[in-house]
Amino acid sequence: MTPVAPNGGELSLALLAMGLPLLSFFLVFFVTRPRVTLSCAVSLVCSGLPLLAAIWLLAGHWRMEAPILWELTWMRGGGVAVTFGFLLDPLSLLMLCIVTGVSFLVQVYSLGYMAGDPGKAKYYAFLSLFAWSMISLVLASGLMQLYIFWELVGLSSYLLIGFWHHKFSASQAGKKAFVMTRLGDLGFFLGIIVLLLNLGDLSILGLNQQAATRLTPGLLTASALLIFCGVVGKSAQFPLLTWLPDAMEGPTPVSALLHSATMVAAGVYLVSRLFPFFQGSPQALGWVLVIGTVTMLLSSTMAMVASDIKQVWAYSTVSQLGFMFMGLGAGGYFAGVYHLTTHAAFKALLFLCSGVFIHHYATNDFFVMARSGARSLKVPMLSLTVAGAALSGVWPLAGFFSKETVLSALAELPNPAWLWLGLLGAGLTAYYTFRLLFVMWRPRRTQPPAGHAEHGEGGHHGAAVYWVMAAPLLVLAVLTALLGAAGPALESFLAWGRPLPPGAHHGWLVAASVVVVAAGAGLAWLEFGRAGAAQQGFLSRIPGLWNLFANRWYLDWLYRWLLDHVVYGLFSRLFTLNDRRVVDGGIDGFCRATLGAGWLLSLLQSGLLQYNLFTMVLVMALVGLYFLLV
Amino acid sequence: MNSLHTYLFIALVLFCIGLFGLLKRRSLIGMLISVELMLNAVGLNFMAFNRFLAPDPAVGQVAVLFIMGIAAAEAAIALSLILALFRKIRSINVEQARQLKG
Repeated sequence: MTPVAPNGGELSLALLAMGLPLLSFFLVFFVTRPRVTLSCAVSLVCSGLPLLAAIWLLAGHWRMEAPILWELTWMRGGGVAVTFGFLLDPLSLLMLCIVTGVSFLVQVYSLGYMAGDPGKAKYYAFLSLFAWSMISLVLASGLMQLYIFWELVGLSSYLLIGFWHHKFSASQAGKKAFVMTRLGDLGFFLGIIVLLLNLGDLSILGLNQQAATRLTPGLLTASALLIFCGVVGKSAQFPLLTWLPDAMEGPTPVSALLHSATMVAAGVYLVSRLFPFFQGSPQALGWVLVIGTVTMLLSSTMAMVASDIKQVWAYSTVSQLGFMFMGLGAGGYFAGVYHLTTHAAFKALLFLCSGVFIHHYATNDFFVMARSGARSLKVPMLSLTVAGAALSGVWPLAGFFSKETVLSALAELPNPAWLWLGLLGAGLTAYYTFRLLFVMWRPRRTQPPAGHAEHGEGGHHGAAVYWVMAAPLLVLAVLTALLGAAGPALESFLAWGRPLPPGAHHGWLVAASVVVVAAGAGLAWLEFGRAGAAQQGFLSRIPGLWNLFANRWYLDWLYRWLLDHVVYGLFSRLFTLNDRRVVDGGIDGFCRATLGAGWLLSLLQSGLLQYNLFTMVLVMALVGLYFLLV
Repeated sequence: MNSLHTYLFIALVLFCIGLFGLLKRRSLIGMLISVELMLNAVGLNFMAFNRFLAPDPAVGQVAVLFIMGIAAAEAAIALSLILALFRKIRSINVEQARQLKG
């Protein structure tokens, strides 16, 4: 498919979307920071206009037939040119809408959530930076540009996760997110270098069209797997998944942004972006499938025992990302992208709802929230239920349809085990989601409800704040309910409007997934929902499993052990030794050798004038003799 | 006997005496005198070559006049250095001036 150049309107709209958030970051950070209201206004305008531009672009290109490409050469060396620009195709347009939409809603919501925070202006500056990095990543036309913004996304999420840096746990979580994603990004960078050396072309269209034919299978697999390393870090897949649950130390709107449209979505987006490239290597896709499955199951089990509302959603994000990778790994391009889309809507909604409760009751524990009367907040409670039902895949909400496409993609695989694992994951998802919902809806008054005095800093800020926070919830709830119906339209849009291959529609699959979801929800009802239920999961009767899940399968413990024994114990010690013995020792030895040589040479200086004279005469005589004889 | 070789031989003897004195004497004044001897040996050489070989007699004489001028200047500088050294260490014996020993 040959790309076409953008016309004036497309060019200016795309550049507007890419430029405004950056402008807003600089304006807010360097100029208007002391004036909070002005800063918020600047930031909101600069995130609202890109949203309008994105919707306009999407609507105007609904039936587009060729990608629109605009590039400037940034640098050129040898036969390789690194370009900057934008690439508009169905995938990037859809993702652009998701990113700008969620970040705009989050910015509106933050008006209420961050009211009264002393760093509110700075917070808005960071949000703008985050939006800018993600928008530019989505529109990037080449892998190098994508990588630069990939790192900028990591930087801005570090800034936002550690936004309340006076809290030790928050600054630790920020560092953890930064370092763990960086570990994966190392692989990504190596992959880019492999491609650069062997292909000499980093443009996304070029990679997707030519890599499979111009690279040997081994190199293709190696570079795809290296790039997938970066994805594993960014999208919090096994084994680099524990940074995401910790990242809830940041403000809740940041978690909503991070978990739905920006940071973790970048990984799924990259695999979808390079999907034809990944398809060139079945081994690489196989690894994507395996990692996705392992991650989904591990994090679902973690979510079953968490009692912190944000942590439940964080684990569920990890597991839903795993689900997307399962879909992509099974060859279902649309399945992965569609689930990413619907997940962005309902996961942002889940976090924003949780934010209202956290703001209101100043606690993260949903058992405590329920006892304090969370049911009385109607809008967030209903939105939470809609989003939770969508997450677990209840008809007719968005999650049902997107999960269905993923499961159909899995059903296409020759090995039925993947489908069973996918269904198991769907059941676990339904269980932990309904566990939370039932606890929230049917609180047990085992303890007297906490008095209002205990609500602390979260406190009440009045109806205005409540409605500023509730409005984005309603928008997202409507989207969550409607996105399911948009599936076929999106599918044909993503397939360039071409007629779809007759999809194998598995009727029994729908039934199976409904049964699985009903089983998960039913188990949750028995344990948490019905009158007189003990509100204790079956897992609490199996302490071994409970501990395993509550300690995140001891992954953090494993990292600690690896850090202490491998990194500090082996590498750091070797490097210290190298530093002390080889580097310091080399310089010391050189100094000592110079001193010794100087001392040896000083022995020649007797201090007696005539020895010097005699040497001089002797040398001259010898030189004379040489000239005489030769 | 009145040939070039006689003069060259006498100049050689003078130069060697000067060189020997320069290396042997420990007194700076003695060394200065030896240097004068060597300079004069060179001057004698110039005059001898000029007398017997050069077509234009002026060249050698000019060179000798230069040497005499330089010798005078050198004597003045050397004597002032010797005086300065004497003020410092109350001696003009080079064996006493060994502060630069390594």
